[in-house]
Amino acid sequence: MAAKQKDRKRQGQKAVSRRDFVKSGAAAGVGAAVLTTSGTALAQGVSPVNAIRWNYEADVVIIGAGCTGLPAAIRARDLGASVIVIDQNFDPGGKMLHSGGQISLGGGDPLQKRDIEGKGDPEGFVTAPRQHSIAELTEDPDFLFRDHTDWSVMDAAAQAPYRYNERDLHRAYADNCYATREFLMANYVRMGRVSGTHGNGGMSRARRAVTFLMEGAATDIKKGTVSTKDAGVAGKSSSHFAPRLMEDGTMVASKGARTNGAALARPLEFSAREKGVKFILNRHMDEIIREQQFSGRVVGIRASYSPRFDPQNGAQLQSLWQNGNIDDRTETIYIRARKAVIIGAGGHGANPQFRSMFYPAWREPAFVSSGWALLGPRGQDASGIIAGMRVGANLAGMQQNLSYASTFHFPGNLATRDPYTDMLPGHPTFSMRGSTGINLANDSYQHLIVVNQVGKRFFNEMLITTRQGGAAFPAGPGKGQPRKGLDHVQLDWRNASAENIRATYSEPNSIHAALAINEGSKAPDFLSGPIWAIFDRAAVERDHWNIEPPFTSPTNGFFFKADTIQELAAKIRSGHEFQRVPLTYLAETVAKWNSFVDKGSDPEFARGSDVPMHRIDTPPFYAATLYPVWHDSYGGLRINGRAQVIDMQGEVIPGLYAGGESSGGGNQHGLGRALVHGYIAGTHAAKDGTS
Amino acid sequence: MDSSPEAPIPNPANHAVSVVAWDIPSAIVVGEKFRMKVGIKCANECDLANTEFGIFDESGTQVSVATLPAERWPGTVLHVAEVELEAPAKEALYTWSVKVRSTSLKTNSEPEGEIVHAEESINFGVRVVGRPEFMVTVETVDAGDQRPLSGARVVMHPYRAITDEGGIAKVRVAKGTYKLFVSQTRYVTFGLPVEVEGDMTARAELDVEPVTERN
Repeated sequence: MAAKQKDRKRQGQKAVSRRDFVKSGAAAGVGAAVLTTSGTALAQGVSPVNAIRWNYEADVVIIGAGCTGLPAAIRARDLGASVIVIDQNFDPGGKMLHSGGQISLGGGDPLQKRDIEGKGDPEGFVTAPRQHSIAELTEDPDFLFRDHTDWSVMDAAAQAPYRYNERDLHRAYADNCYATREFLMANYVRMGRVSGTHGNGGMSRARRAVTFLMEGAATDIKKGTVSTKDAGVAGKSSSHFAPRLMEDGTMVASKGARTNGAALARPLEFSAREKGVKFILNRHMDEIIREQQFSGRVVGIRASYSPRFDPQNGAQLQSLWQNGNIDDRTETIYIRARKAVIIGAGGHGANPQFRSMFYPAWREPAFVSSGWALLGPRGQDASGIIAGMRVGANLAGMQQNLSYASTFHFPGNLATRDPYTDMLPGHPTFSMRGSTGINLANDSYQHLIVVNQVGKRFFNEMLITTRQGGAAFPAGPGKGQPRKGLDHVQLDWRNASAENIRATYSEPNSIHAALAINEGSKAPDFLSGPIWAIFDRAAVERDHWNIEPPFTSPTNGFFFKADTIQELAAKIRSGHEFQRVPLTYLAETVAKWNSFVDKGSDPEFARGSDVPMHRIDTPPFYAATLYPVWHDSYGGLRINGRAQVIDMQGEVIPGLYAGGESSGGGNQHGLGRALVHGYIAGTHAAKDGTS
Repeated sequence: MDSSPEAPIPNPANHAVSVVAWDIPSAIVVGEKFRMKVGIKCANECDLANTEFGIFDESGTQVSVATLPAERWPGTVLHVAEVELEAPAKEALYTWSVKVRSTSLKTNSEPEGEIVHAEESINFGVRVVGRPEFMVTVETVDAGDQRPLSGARVVMHPYRAITDEGGIAKVRVAKGTYKLFVSQTRYVTFGLPVEVEGDMTARAELDVEPVTERN
């Protein structure tokens, strides 16, 4: 190891207030047991505790610097614990960094109260008028708890998302929303007016606020400002600070406000670093270490080096901010947790084997989780859940992936592998995706056809990107509830009546059609293969699409141009990684489509009744991927109201906490759930009994 | 070129030819002349200038013969020709074709000293309609600020038009029942069933399509 690295490592160890592991007595009473179990443990790939030479130690060790890990780290640090956060990526933030920054909490939280009182924020940034009536903002934790556990609510997919929520979890959630909102505000997070509620954030009151920073000359978290360059320039650039363009926040704060997840993730990261949290980035957790595999305390983790490099110049990717980083490049390290390990490692949306437990057709590896380029190949890989299972954890809420519309869907962004995250050049990972994507409004689908891996249409293109919202405020028939807005009644059998379900059921089936076995699918996995939007020059000109870089890439294999349809099919076949078979029928499909346009009707998929049809005949011809995304995932480690992980016997695994998408039992989209979990986990982990 | 195992092994002296046909009017009045574009290329990008091609009607009768100019269609290597044709005298949807016959080209560079360009053809639809007697005037505005929308696409199948700078499109149609569509980028398509029994005016107020929220 280079002297410089040794030095960095030493500094890091010093900073986390070392304590002698042997003296702490972890081995007392278990030494004999380890001798007899270590052989078995080794055979199972489990590290024998007594043989471990710990490289680092801290009171609380957190896996994942996202929207569970960062609040947990700050909270534990606030309560006096030393904290190490590891993350598999080169930069903290996780999925939170590319999110919309929308946080639904409620139960009478400080922002609901602020809006009720007609007040702004102390800095004077929030001057926009209140968006809801006082009645729409008035509630208490009991009311919020009932909303999140209301058995009677059916969503537009005829699922009952809240019925399956873990009561203990949601009681704790309702009781901690106030404190979490306050905690965020005390850690440089600015939020605008309350506006509606997230999908599955409850149907009875408005609870959502979006995070913002004010556009200014320079980025200064303490002052609440972001430079124009960091906030991004529409249609041109995003930045390392904000991988997605920050949006206009005039309506929720005031003119000059720029919103999205960067205005949440960066302030939390800034605060964590300022308070002395240590970060070991480029570090993937491979194992949670328990005294014995299925008993005793969790005492630490094993983690491997996971650097990422720019594919164009080979340079290693570096975090935006460096203070508090421990730059350790050793292949394997062991980190001891004196009090607790917190799993905030994200979900399983990018692990095809794991997600196919719920839906076998999702074994297709072509399709990724949102933030694929940002998070890298190991983001959302279910490793937190799998590591928990290896030390005996139970699972919860595994069926809830199927009941929320954004879990998997078509975001409608062509020519990119990651259609959810519309990143522009400027972020260090842009070159990994190569293209922003052609973001089409739904109406624009009238100008194209969509085909499967053999070149056949499979659905009415106008319906492909439609999806229903999750059960959320304001309630109403479109979201599965019979009554609108404040007229929604909690725990009312009419919500789940057959009449209501019949009236609202509108499951969009395009995603299922796209993933279906088709003529190119082969045993054993019968992968569906990629999905292609096919269009011509006339469509591009008629509907004013920008198909030039950075929206498309001539080299990333997600966009092709050809003089003829036959040549287009051949280019796709040879140039796209997941195109495993020829698009045998593409020319025939286009010819058939043109004959349907001439006739004025589409007997195969009923196009033409809502929008006009257009021939695809003017060269050059184009193919762009239309990929679905597995955005967020539900189902994961079972936790209790203190965010402690529960084992197969219903007992707490001592010293192990989890939250966010690594945990299950709460079907709620967005950041609110994970932030509250992090706050709760940090609170209890800091006070956990020492070994 | 496709180098995948499924692709046929190319014979260097046998060149594939592709034909594309476009800009065919969506409704052509009986007996009237109309123009369309034909693009033809060799997969090996040979110069096909002066190559002859024919247009054939639904019965296989050649209705036109033309030769390819040296000119290429922008963004492609297709030789592009504009041809003028005459619509049949009877209303119907016809399937016509463009055909380029097999040709030989003497060369010194190929092993056999000769390149063979294979025969190729493509079908296209020709919608022939009676003389439309009524004028439908469509006025298109933004539903919010009532601003005229220019460049909007007006479709009353098979008739099509584009709105002018004042948001007005005039579509000459035959008597009958239509679904009048007006579509414009970033707006929700306007659709209205109309019964045309004389000259008429329709007003299309288009709503901006809501942006999908990503959170």
